[in-house]
Order: sequence, then structure tokens, then C-alpha cells
Amino acid sequence: MQRLISFLAVFVGALFGGGFRYLIGLVFQSYGSGFPLGTLFVNLTGALLLPLLIHYLHDRFNLSAEIVLSLSSGLLGAYTTFSTFTADTQRLFASNQFSFLALYLLATMIGGFLLALLGNYLAAYLARREYFQRKKEN
Amino acid sequence: MNVVIVALGASFGAFFRNELTQASRKVKIDFPWMTLLINIAGSFILGSVTAKIKDNVLLLFLSTGFCGGFTTFGTFNFELSQLWFQKQYLRCFVYFASSYSLGILGFILGRII
Repeated sequence: MQRLISFLAVFVGALFGGGFRYLIGLVFQSYGSGFPLGTLFVNLTGALLLPLLIHYLHDRFNLSAEIVLSLSSGLLGAYTTFSTFTADTQRLFASNQFSFLALYLLATMIGGFLLALLGNYLAAYLARREYFQRKKEN
Repeated sequence: MNVVIVALGASFGAFFRNELTQASRKVKIDFPWMTLLINIAGSFILGSVTAKIKDNVLLLFLSTGFCGGFTTFGTFNFELSQLWFQKQYLRCFVYFASSYSLGILGFILGRII
């Protein structure tokens, strides 16, 4: 039973995550410059949101383990993607778009890491602020 | 219609990723090796799929859907940040460098093989 619940949690979360990634890709595609803005957008926003979910929203809204699994491994796991990033990289290289390639690599590699760090700091900041607010009220 | 195909593919991908990640916790190594393997393997499969599959619906299901949902950028960067805050700078760097280099290499190999 527990296995079925965690299966459904991940499955349903990823249904939305994968769907959002595809739709966002379509929106950015219509600007059509060849630069993979859609992949960059989902990956950077996902990198920021995941630490916020695990280190802040989890406690803030008393989310159950299944909901957190559904939102982290399911929704944000499927919303972000690593394989499409490698495909974009190869495509930009093969089509000699080297300035786009450099920009894309830099933004993904450095941006993803910095936003994940920022997500952790933001989670800690929000949790602290609310802790002191509650303390003041009591 | 396409969004449903992608969403379903992503769900299967995410399910396999989650099963593999849960199973990998039994091995007590302080390194997110399973996410690394998943991202390399997923990139390899994507390379292979984009080179070989011509049917558009199947391609969308397997590439943007399955491989997109199987591999993950969010968890990868989350794990990088945890290694960073644990002051495991060497592991953090090794994880960073190996994911990007082997992931891109995996995609290229998948296309060729």
C-alpha cells in the first residue's frame, strides 16, 4: 500500500511537472532565436524552488511526506531536466552557435548552482523570520 | 494532445528515477552517485532516441517525456548545494564536473552508437 501511494505521488507530480516543462518550452519557442530559453527557464526556476520546498515549505505548511515526495521527486524532478540540456549543448555546438553555447553553458552551470544556494539561504531566512514573528506574538 | 504524451512519458521517467534513487540509499556512500548515473544514462538514451526514432509521437514520448522526466536538474543542484553547505568542496566539485562532462559525452555517444 505504501509503495502504491508513493508510486502515485511521484507519477501524478511528474505528470504536471513534465506537462509544465513542455508548455513553457512552447511559449519560449515562439520567440524562436535558437537559444534554448525554455530549458534554461525551467531548470533555473526548478533549482531555486527545490531547496525552498524541502527546507521551508515542508515545515511551513506541515506537508506530509507523500506530498513532499510528489512535489520534489515528482513535480520538480520532471519539471527540470538534465538530458535536454545535454541535447541543447550538442545542437548549439553542431550548428556553430558558439556565443549562444557559451552563454547557455555559463547560465546553466553557474546559474543553477547559485540559485540552489540562494534557495537554501532564502529558506533559512524565511524560517527564521517566521520563528521570531511567532515568538513576538506569544 | 502532445502535452499529454509528454506528461505521461515524464511520469514513467520520474517513477524509474525515484525507484532507483530509493534503492540506492541502501548503499551507504556519501555521494549522490545514483543521480549522477541517472543523468548520464538519461542523456545517453536521449542521444540514441533522437538519432534513431523517426516516429514523432514515440519520439516525443521518449525524449521530452521519458528522458526529460527521468533526468533531473533540480535534484542535481540541490545535492550540489547540500555538499557545499557540508563543506564537502571536493565532492561538490567532482559531482559538478563529472555530471556535466559525462552527461554531454553520454548524449554524444548515444547519438553515435
